[in-house]
Amino acid sequence: MTTENLATSSSADGDVIEIKDLNKWYGNFHVLKNINLTVKKGERIVVCGPSGSGKSTMIRCINRLEQFQRGSLVVNGVEMIEDVKNIETIRREVGMVFQHFNLFPHLTILENLTLGPIWVQKKPKEEAEEIAMKYLSRVKIPDQANKFPGQLSGGQQQRVAIARSLCMNPQIMLFDEPTSALDPEMIKEVLDVMVELAEEGMTMICVTHEMGFAKKVADRVIFMDGGEIVEQNTPDVFFDHPETDRLQLFLSQILDH
Amino acid sequence: MREFKPQDALPAPIESAGLVGWVRQNLFPNVGSSIATIVIFAFLAAVVPDMVSWLFIEANWTGTTQEDCTNDEGACWVFVSAWMQQLMYGSYPVDEVWRVHLGLISLAAVIAAPYALPKALRNKVGVPLFLLYPFICAALLDGRTFGLEFVSTDYWGGFSLNIFLAAASIIIAFPLSFLWALGRRSDMPFIRSVCVILIEFFRGVPVLALFFMGSVMLPLFFPEGTNVDKLLRVWIVLILFMSGYMAEVFRGGFQAIPSGQYEAADSLGLSYWQKTLLVIFPQVIKVSMPNILATFVMLFKNTTFLLIIGIFEILSTTQTALSNSNWLGGHAPEGYLFVAFVFWVCCFGMSMISTNIERKLDTSHRN
Repeated sequence: MTTENLATSSSADGDVIEIKDLNKWYGNFHVLKNINLTVKKGERIVVCGPSGSGKSTMIRCINRLEQFQRGSLVVNGVEMIEDVKNIETIRREVGMVFQHFNLFPHLTILENLTLGPIWVQKKPKEEAEEIAMKYLSRVKIPDQANKFPGQLSGGQQQRVAIARSLCMNPQIMLFDEPTSALDPEMIKEVLDVMVELAEEGMTMICVTHEMGFAKKVADRVIFMDGGEIVEQNTPDVFFDHPETDRLQLFLSQILDH
Repeated sequence: MREFKPQDALPAPIESAGLVGWVRQNLFPNVGSSIATIVIFAFLAAVVPDMVSWLFIEANWTGTTQEDCTNDEGACWVFVSAWMQQLMYGSYPVDEVWRVHLGLISLAAVIAAPYALPKALRNKVGVPLFLLYPFICAALLDGRTFGLEFVSTDYWGGFSLNIFLAAASIIIAFPLSFLWALGRRSDMPFIRSVCVILIEFFRGVPVLALFFMGSVMLPLFFPEGTNVDKLLRVWIVLILFMSGYMAEVFRGGFQAIPSGQYEAADSLGLSYWQKTLLVIFPQVIKVSMPNILATFVMLFKNTTFLLIIGIFEILSTTQTALSNSNWLGGHAPEGYLFVAFVFWVCCFGMSMISTNIERKLDTSHRN
């Protein structure tokens, strides 16, 4: 675990995310049903499930890209309530990587990375650029710093997106299907970065169907269907001895091809 | 082993290359097009020589009075040159015309500033200068603030007034309409309704009606005894009218921005205004640029409507000149052609600038 991670505060028992009885509706549609999930510091969690099962919606609730109607959510000791300051505090602790990268196309790679540090953390430009270059080197594309996102390949863009999140020095990283929009040959370069990050002790929640990644780094794998958590277990048990027939069916469908 | 010898390149067949090829492909590719080509050429042959002759060859170029226009077969450009001072500057005192020139030059300067200034100064210096321009320029033309001779707005006029009014209006309308467009997308029902009402009112009422309201009706709402300058009222009307249109242009721009951009900005912890100004606004400007220009050209040309409420912009000056007893020779074609020409030059110029800005803003495929 890096010293940066150790230095920050968290609740007494080391839980960085506590979700209790979370319920969410889109109009009349019940998308999340009684979600209960506790994530410990440094834990790596992979969430999988069929499309429409609510897995993206769940992790998007954690940094308030989605609102929920019932239940409670505590991130790094801060309870998510209807308050702008509160939401901004939580968002500073939580980094997010999206399926479609969502880099800012009008800014260079370096400007994409320094935007948060300069405007949110109020760091001087030089320091922000130093941090940005550090993380660009970590994702192995420091030479692309002055290009625009449109000039990079999908895999490179996603690595920039990861670096952009890391520049904010988040305590938790959320990944929302980070490799689903990539060509097969680019998936590995992104997964490599994520594996490295996991090995350094970052608390991570990844929505992904990369089962190889799950087996390799996950402490826990969660299976969701119909808006609820159906099963959660260590990767060994999860893949080799699924408890429910629903997970068995799901695994047979994604692993057989 | 067999040796490979490239074949010699042969000249292209006559029907697909060179002048003959071009003519055949573009002018006479089939019967229908050939007929169209012949008809159009016949029409041009009948019209163009006479036009060129009237406009240039037989035209009267030199002199100062109507009597100098001796050749009836040609245009009397003397009319335009004799009235040039009025057409450009209205009744602005001749000795003070340098102030108008200075105003126009500084307008060009604030427009060029985003290109010329280094990136660091652009937002800190360029933007405030841009937004303050209308007020500085008005003070310069008025004169009192700078200790110059006072020139009442009654004397402002001519084409320079069209330019100043249009520029001053769009500069203020730009941020205002952006706020209206933001308000229209707001979650807060009160702000949203106010913005919808404002936008739809100023878009839905003809600009002529707005001008009449501004010049006749608006004073009724002011307290007794206050006299708000007519030009100021017209300026306010132009700003509001322009804002109504621009707000809808911006709204279209907002809709072109993928929701992922908002989410990415949110997840970095940017505040609402940081997100709006740093992430969304630059992208909205980029997609809206062609429509912003189109709206501005429309507003610019609409400033000629001001003739009906007695503002001496270029078109009403032309009409005054045409009815002058010394020039009752039927110079309407020359007068209106000149007005059309100066507007066309300006609008075409803006079109070029906008194309240039679009290219500058396009970072998506730059290599």
